[in-house]
Amino acid sequence: MRVLVVEDEKKTASFVRKALQAEGFAVDVCHNGDDALAAVRATPFDVIVLDIMLPGRDGLSVLRQLRDRKNATPVLLLSARGEVNERVEGLNAGADDYLPKPFELAELVARVRALTRRTSENKSTILRVAGLTLDTVTHRAQRGGRDIELTAREYRLLEFLMQSPGRLCGRMMILEKVWEYDFDPGTNLVDVYIRRLREKIDAGFEPKLLHTARGAGYLLKEPA
Amino acid sequence: MSFRTRLTLWYAAVLFVSLLAMSIAAYFEIGRARSEVLRRAGVPDNLIAKDQQEDFEDVSEILAWYGLPAAALALAGGWWLMRKTMIPVAGLTRAAEKITARNLSERLPRTNRGDELDRLTAVFNDMLARLDDSFNRTREFTLHASHELKTPLTVLCGETETALRDESLSAAERERAASQLDELRRLARIVDGLTLLAKADAGQVALKLELVRLDELVRDNFEDARILAEPQGVRVELTVCEEITLPADRHRLRQLLLNLADNAVKYNQPEGRVTMSLRRADDVAEFTIANTGPGIPPETLPRVFDRFFRGDPAHSPTVDGCGLGLSIVQWIVSAHNGSVKIKSAPGQLTTVTVRLPLQA
Repeated sequence: MRVLVVEDEKKTASFVRKALQAEGFAVDVCHNGDDALAAVRATPFDVIVLDIMLPGRDGLSVLRQLRDRKNATPVLLLSARGEVNERVEGLNAGADDYLPKPFELAELVARVRALTRRTSENKSTILRVAGLTLDTVTHRAQRGGRDIELTAREYRLLEFLMQSPGRLCGRMMILEKVWEYDFDPGTNLVDVYIRRLREKIDAGFEPKLLHTARGAGYLLKEPA
Repeated sequence: MSFRTRLTLWYAAVLFVSLLAMSIAAYFEIGRARSEVLRRAGVPDNLIAKDQQEDFEDVSEILAWYGLPAAALALAGGWWLMRKTMIPVAGLTRAAEKITARNLSERLPRTNRGDELDRLTAVFNDMLARLDDSFNRTREFTLHASHELKTPLTVLCGETETALRDESLSAAERERAASQLDELRRLARIVDGLTLLAKADAGQVALKLELVRLDELVRDNFEDARILAEPQGVRVELTVCEEITLPADRHRLRQLLLNLADNAVKYNQPEGRVTMSLRRADDVAEFTIANTGPGIPPETLPRVFDRFFRGDPAHSPTVDGCGLGLSIVQWIVSAHNGSVKIKSAPGQLTTVTVRLPLQA
């Protein structure tokens, strides 16, 4: 898996590269838009991490240029501006995800990984991970033949985690998808819900399915 | 006493004094002229004295029959004149009353007659322009500051997180780095809140209005509040939740409800209570949230919506937050043309009431 990081701020580019490399990605770094377009022409990438504020040609313009050239590489936009409608603007320009600065590194890694797995999302109406099943029509969850009572929110959280087993989900990502929050509420809602969900689906069962990844992410997976 | 009444009274006093002076002058002038005529005609002095008595009566009569009605008329005229003078002043007052920090760009209407009042309006408008300018500078400064802070914050957060991933870190080092990261994230949230408010002040945040089922948002929020309150043993109740649909920005309303719920849980006592309700009242949706916190003393109550205002630190030493929650709540409510009120006293329930119009 090869990732292109386009970020003019050298220190940011450096720790993003390190974090992605630590997760097993091959990482190339560009510091401006024109270099990025040249790099994409020369090498196929699996994901592009693109800062919006770049000297000269800005990130959105790079993105439009890419899409005009029919390049469909998944793009994760980064932005320090934090405009409320920038996310929408970015997604309209063809981005696949958007992360406002300052971000959590684990969050960034989780999103990059999610973008590489985008195609393998589970589309069946019955989601299954090891002995755990979730019926997305009746909202019924079962493990080891036993029914698990879930509140509406817990259901949505479990559904989101089970849609792509093994995908690392960052806190903000969960807040966005499950709570539909586009802001950081500054509470430990996600951690509390994960803890409750873990009690319901993992307590008394083996193997444990809901894991906390180092940093600030969660994932649901069968042990290898 | 209004300026108009005062001026009229002064006017009446001046009128009275001049009338009196006129009468006295008339009395002496008439008396002197007539005694001169009588003396020349050889009338004896005692008769002249009697005539002077009559003069006095004549003058008082004239005064009573003509002077007083004329004075009353002049007084009424004066009252009317004062009113006419004061109307533009009253208009100016009303217009100036409407000026707040939010509409400093508005100007008072001018008559362009070049008179004193028009000049006053012009001076007032110039003052507003200067105020507006300095307000804008402060806003821009906050906005730029929050943007500029984001890049170093991103680097700090990222590098601290990278450091935390280092397996060779000792437990003490790890703890220190984790605590730094916590503070950095808090700082990031403060900067986020500041950016939002600075943008809102500058009118740069547009609400995305759509029809929203407020009761569903309240129910969701109630669920979250219950979970957030669990570790502190705080009980959360939703007493009434009427079905209400209104035009609003869904994300901002969620933020509003979560901020209020988070506050109600945070500023509570162990085993305390949080009570929420959503009702329809005439043409507004009324959401209330009450908590059994320590209560807010009356002197700090008007300031709780101020940015970074935290009240008496002795009363809330352990509460962690960014200090902008209620300011954001207030902005969201006013952006929806609603109102937010807080009622509290030490040892009593603290109740926040949010009213949002059902029509845009």
